[in-house]
Amino acid sequence: MQLLIEAIGFGIASGAVIALGAVGFSVQFGMSNVLNITYGSLMTLGAYIGLVLTDRGVNVWISLAIAGVVVGAVSVGFHRWLLAPLVRRGTRAFAIVIVTVSAGVVLQYVIVAFAGPDAKSYGEQSGQTFYLLGVVLTASQVAIIVLAAVLMLGLHLLLTRTTLGRAMRATASNRVLAQSCGIATDRISDIAWMLSGMLCGAAGVALAITTVSFDFTLGPIFLIPMIAAAVLGGIGQPYGAMLGGLVVGIASELAAAYTNPAYREVVAFGILVVMLLVRPNGLFGAAWATRRLMA
Amino acid sequence: MGIHRLRLASPLALATAFVLAACGGSGASSTPPTQTGPLSLGVIAPFTGPAAEFGTLLTAPCLAATDLINANGGVSGHQVNCTSIDDTGDPADAVPNVTKAIATTSNFDFAIGLESNTAATTVPLVNGAKIPFFTTNGLVAFTKNTYPYYYRMTPGDDANGAAFAVWAVQQGYKSVAIVFQNNIGSEGNLPGLTSAMPRLGGSIALNLTIPADSASYSAEVERVIAAKPDVLIWSADPQTTATFMGNYKSLNNGVLPPMVTATDSLTPDFFNAVTKVVGIAYVTSKIWLVGSYFDQTTPAFSTYKAALLADSKTHDIAPVLSTVGPPAGAYDGINIMALAMIMAKTTVGSYYNSYILQVVSPKSGAVVVNNFADGAKALAAGKQIQYIGVLGKPTFDKYHNSAGEFDANKFNSDGSATQVGTISGSQVLQLLG
Repeated sequence: MQLLIEAIGFGIASGAVIALGAVGFSVQFGMSNVLNITYGSLMTLGAYIGLVLTDRGVNVWISLAIAGVVVGAVSVGFHRWLLAPLVRRGTRAFAIVIVTVSAGVVLQYVIVAFAGPDAKSYGEQSGQTFYLLGVVLTASQVAIIVLAAVLMLGLHLLLTRTTLGRAMRATASNRVLAQSCGIATDRISDIAWMLSGMLCGAAGVALAITTVSFDFTLGPIFLIPMIAAAVLGGIGQPYGAMLGGLVVGIASELAAAYTNPAYREVVAFGILVVMLLVRPNGLFGAAWATRRLMA
Repeated sequence: MGIHRLRLASPLALATAFVLAACGGSGASSTPPTQTGPLSLGVIAPFTGPAAEFGTLLTAPCLAATDLINANGGVSGHQVNCTSIDDTGDPADAVPNVTKAIATTSNFDFAIGLESNTAATTVPLVNGAKIPFFTTNGLVAFTKNTYPYYYRMTPGDDANGAAFAVWAVQQGYKSVAIVFQNNIGSEGNLPGLTSAMPRLGGSIALNLTIPADSASYSAEVERVIAAKPDVLIWSADPQTTATFMGNYKSLNNGVLPPMVTATDSLTPDFFNAVTKVVGIAYVTSKIWLVGSYFDQTTPAFSTYKAALLADSKTHDIAPVLSTVGPPAGAYDGINIMALAMIMAKTTVGSYYNSYILQVVSPKSGAVVVNNFADGAKALAAGKQIQYIGVLGKPTFDKYHNSAGEFDANKFNSDGSATQVGTISGSQVLQLLG
């Protein structure tokens, strides 16, 4: 029983990191309908920006914020100058995915060229260990869970309570109609890519804190569980991605606690496949999203 | 009718066989054939693809050995060239490349490499071509094999596992937790370790296989803590190790268990990654690195290292190679094969192969030599020799495996290592049954 409670706690901590990245990924997809595989390498970029800053004595949480802003700006540029022109020229969706894969590989090796291929670390950042109702979490894990919760809540309020959020949802739902209603859809896209890029950069630093040691493959490795979380929640649905992240994280930790840990990801992805067989559009599929938009 | 033909054929076949045998159709008993021109030493390793670094690492000992051989008159007057044969690290892709090399390379008389990823397909090919070779693979499948041209001077992965157990018990640890990453190298250690531990009076408190590069190993760490082992027997890449040990430190109030791991982890990457997470004091005092014996104070090692430093192509990686066993085994293997050629008075593999064991076997009155030049000189003077190389005294079993001795090392604060004890190779082999 003790191990069960502990594993759920570890799962929430892992899930929070996955959710951070998955929400950003889902927002990007929802806004642009582009499966952006470069997202993984942008997370890696965030982790390395964090490394540069922490090596210079900057506090790791301030580094997280700065990395988020920088990766957000890079994401806007990436969308505006590479992906948007391809979409405008009618490039097929599959070809655009390949472009994002290629751009991700290029970015990954640019990072290697500057930082080298060996393992890096921010050093020990876990801080004090807390024991609460059988759950064991370090200070950094608690901070990441709180950070994820605050960012999710902020995103929720932005999307549902502000004019900007309504404009983003309208653009995501029907870009042409939104334009005809006077919404500056290009600007809205830029803002959406900035926000999702910020989540991506923050997720990269959070991942680097969690894994303790990382290299240039960090982002691409964790992109798969993040996409899984986004798909599980219903691709394009930020709330679904949050829940998807928690499901993937907790399933993975429970598998490690009670089965052969070598199969922890097999169990997590097995659950994903079964859930999608039951709910093909994810936990928060199209019908739920439509209701939210109409609200 | 058929019976008559058979009766006529039998004496004819006997006569044919007799004539062929008299003409020297087989074996070392007939006059050894001669070759002209330089000899080709095949370095069968990945030179392209993700494991291409291994080709570079194995070419270095080839260059070191052949530089010394050629500077000392070559093998019975033949200069020796290192020939790169790209096995790509893929067993299927290796087949056409190695087959082509065997068919087209002139005087292809010896080989090194044939590493774990491709050994299953390359070993039968090279053995079938009657080319003696010293392999660097650690696969347990070759611990008992039937290939007459096969030789291995580094321990099989199962022997490494048994050596981990011996060292842990020697340090007084009776209960171990085994945590290995799920890759072929790490998991190859398991059979030897799990078989040796009970025979040594120890017990296995927990045996976990973990995936690489997880975001967290907290659940696995909790299982290890709950098992209360005396020591952690570990094998994983630097990043996975750092993440796991970081989680362990957080979840166990900063207390970490002692660790026994492989000398494969004697790398700057492992040292830096783990030190940054758990601190230099733990890394230098609580981690033992166990692997094949590699004394860096012997004359054989001095010659090897000097040769690596002298060649501009190997100079830069000489410090790295100084701590890695398999390339040193390849260097020794080249010297042994070259001396066997001189002893057999031929460079043809099917003839000199039977002399390889004679080069290393102890004999009364034999001159102990530590390099090719001394061996060639002694043989020219009509003396018997016993080669003792960089990896020490080879003791080949009937399968041509020489696990050698094992040692345990500890990290120094600068990332280099110091040997802190030795483990008898014969004890390890006994534990494997």
